[in-house]
Amino acid sequence: MSGREAATDGAVVRAVLAGDTERYAELVTRYRDRYARYAARMLGSADAAEDAVQDAFVRAYDQLAQCRDPDKFVGWFFLILRNRCFAERRRSRDVVPLEAAGSIVAAERPDGTMETAERRRALQLALLELTPEQREVFVLKHVEGLSYGEIAERLGTSVPSLKMRMHRAYDRLREQLRDPA
Amino acid sequence: MIEFHPLVKQLLDGELTLADLPPELRRQGEAALRLLAAVDREPVTLPPAVDARVMAAVRRRAAAPPPSFWRRLVEPREVRFRLRPWTLAPVLAAAAVLVLLLGRPAPQPSATPTTVRFVLFAPQAQQVAVAGTFNQWDPAVAPLVRTGAAGVWAVTLTLPAGQHQYAFIVDGARWVLDPAAPAVDDGFGSGRRNSVLAL
Repeated sequence: MSGREAATDGAVVRAVLAGDTERYAELVTRYRDRYARYAARMLGSADAAEDAVQDAFVRAYDQLAQCRDPDKFVGWFFLILRNRCFAERRRSRDVVPLEAAGSIVAAERPDGTMETAERRRALQLALLELTPEQREVFVLKHVEGLSYGEIAERLGTSVPSLKMRMHRAYDRLREQLRDPA
Repeated sequence: MIEFHPLVKQLLDGELTLADLPPELRRQGEAALRLLAAVDREPVTLPPAVDARVMAAVRRRAAAPPPSFWRRLVEPREVRFRLRPWTLAPVLAAAAVLVLLLGRPAPQPSATPTTVRFVLFAPQAQQVAVAGTFNQWDPAVAPLVRTGAAGVWAVTLTLPAGQHQYAFIVDGARWVLDPAAPAVDDGFGSGRRNSVLAL
């Protein structure tokens, strides 16, 4: 393994700041997929996640000098991506016809039990109806597998407030996913 | 709204098992677990083109000197002084940022730090913080505290001269622009905006 491959995030960030712009590609390669699933679940599609991750990397480069602890680049990058996802959902909420997507799900529904793929899609659509804050805590806990404590640390908030948010999310999901019959 | 029983919510949180539930809640518990079973945990892999597009943008930025803070302020395409209070939740009906230029009577660019007081009216908030380019957008760094006035949160920071972009974070999750401050496009041409403060 070469030294470059083994370079820490901090070493790469410092090299980029010193003028070796191409080294930034190492960070992109290293982390491009780590939060892609988070972004996809937050935004509702892999395409939107692709745009968000791409924008977040460019934005992180623009602000790299302000990354106070280069060794914690990935945590700092996550917050930039998160900000981007929240802004995206705020913008798109008024223009994305979620009802249209819901009708697709309904059309594909077989008689009898719901298939796994359909259940997944129905849940994803229901998640998009939550507030971004509710959706985020659900995604971080049940998709990314983080504990409440880990989420609280990452977002700078308290476990009780996260639980309150999550429990409201459970109720809203139950309401949206209940069998109309 | 049909709400889950609190014990079922604990089941969903992983703090209880189905066997811990009283018999009358087992069915609700099973339905709740079916909901979680539909969670899509498949990894998402982005196309390699992402790397190329990011690096193309990075190279463009590296080749061109960053616009000076003053030039960015006077370029109309870069800065739009439009307030968007309707993007706020009703509880955030009013907000203000007060800039106190302590000990410096002339509002000219200076290398000396400036004391800035961020003030937000958020009567129903449990916690408020300010995050921006001055603290790596970290909501944990600069919490606001309740002031004597009801619903008013504030924090005083010492910031270096220059342009700073920021937003308030309410209850750890809700990012809101400061309607009393200019909003600046974040430079990606997609309409995303941050509040901006020039010192």
